[in-house]
Amino acid sequence: MPALQTKYSESELVMLLKQRQQSAFNYLYDNYSGALFTVILNVVSDRELASDVLQEVFVKIWRQIETYDETKGRLFTWMMNISRNASIDTLRSKDFKNSQQNRELNESVYESAGTTELKTDQIGLRKVVRELKEDYKVLVELSYFEGYTQDEISKMLSIPLGTVKTRLRTALTQLRQHIKISGY
Amino acid sequence: MDTKEYIESGVIEAYVLGMATAEESAELETLRKQYPEVSQAVLEFEEHLERVAMSNPEAAPAAVKRNLDQLLAGEFKSNENGKVVTMPATSYTKPLWKYVAAASVVLLVGSSILNFYLYDQYQSSDKKYSNLLAQQTTMQARIDVMNTKLNGMDESMRIISDPTMKLVSMPSAKTGENFLATVFWDTKTKDVYLLNNSLPQAPKGKQYQLWALVNGQPVDAGTMDLCAGVCHMKNIPNAQAFAITLEKQGGSATPDLSQLYVLGKI
Repeated sequence: MPALQTKYSESELVMLLKQRQQSAFNYLYDNYSGALFTVILNVVSDRELASDVLQEVFVKIWRQIETYDETKGRLFTWMMNISRNASIDTLRSKDFKNSQQNRELNESVYESAGTTELKTDQIGLRKVVRELKEDYKVLVELSYFEGYTQDEISKMLSIPLGTVKTRLRTALTQLRQHIKISGY
Repeated sequence: MDTKEYIESGVIEAYVLGMATAEESAELETLRKQYPEVSQAVLEFEEHLERVAMSNPEAAPAAVKRNLDQLLAGEFKSNENGKVVTMPATSYTKPLWKYVAAASVVLLVGSSILNFYLYDQYQSSDKKYSNLLAQQTTMQARIDVMNTKLNGMDESMRIISDPTMKLVSMPSAKTGENFLATVFWDTKTKDVYLLNNSLPQAPKGKQYQLWALVNGQPVDAGTMDLCAGVCHMKNIPNAQAFAITLEKQGGSATPDLSQLYVLGKI
């Protein structure tokens, strides 16, 4: 049901956020929490952990809104990048690695038996990436969703760094075309 | 500069996705100020990405908002927390009906929107219901067909396993052909049942007809229609042999012996 609510333009919203208005924060949350949660789930598939990241992301957005520069990109792009970076930091954190280890010990049996855990590669951007050719898909998965550097990928896949660079560029242009074709 | 090549190089996507190097980002930020088409391409990809994330988003857990409200409570500057402003006395003289009117307009708008929404829901439910109904009818029809088949099979089983039945096997009348049909003849009621073991499909406009040979004379025992399992034929009180010929649709009065397929003596 359409909400009976004022719709802010992006610049109005940014202005109100910079004025520390609670109503603007609520509006931001209502409109973007789902999309940003999707972005986070694409990287951190554990829902509970992803919820923690989402909370952290909104705190960051709120406290760092002053650093947002609209000449460099849209508000959503800025928030999406904050979400991705926070997600990858979580993946890389010691706590996460420990929790994964415990999980492997305790829950591997149940996991292989098929849990109802959400398939996080079937929502958001990852759903589009899945449609790419295997060679391209791997590169986008490793670099964008798992945050590996091109150097690391080159070593992991035993492909020359130059090839990783050019192939990743092609993968990204393919990704843009897939998004367009899919009608977004 | 060839902006087309630049736009299609993948650097814009890398920039928007936060994967470009510092030099690449600096170059792009300079170029987008000079070339509107570069700026446009950046914007377009940003909008596409936003739409991808916005379509079917996962609902954020409610606890997150509660935690945030607590966590940031001291940082909000909301109207409620603002300075208390005393309302000018004139504002109280506004007649009540104005507020009532304003409220009813709001309610009316709200209710209209709700109506649209409910009507939409109703239509989609109605469509789903019709689809289900159609599905159910199809299923019922299938069940009926299966039931008929099953009843035919049951009946066949009963006939075949009945010890009062006399079994007359009818092999091919001509040598070299390998057809077979079987007559089950009820020794009490004299009813005749026919099982087609391996007769070829009758050509169009033709039909197999069963004959009983009574004292050397062929007696019509009925035509073989489509039946599930064993076909119930005519009642034959007395016979020495049975035979099947291929006749015109609906059967003949006398058999065409050139079209004799199978024959079995009792």
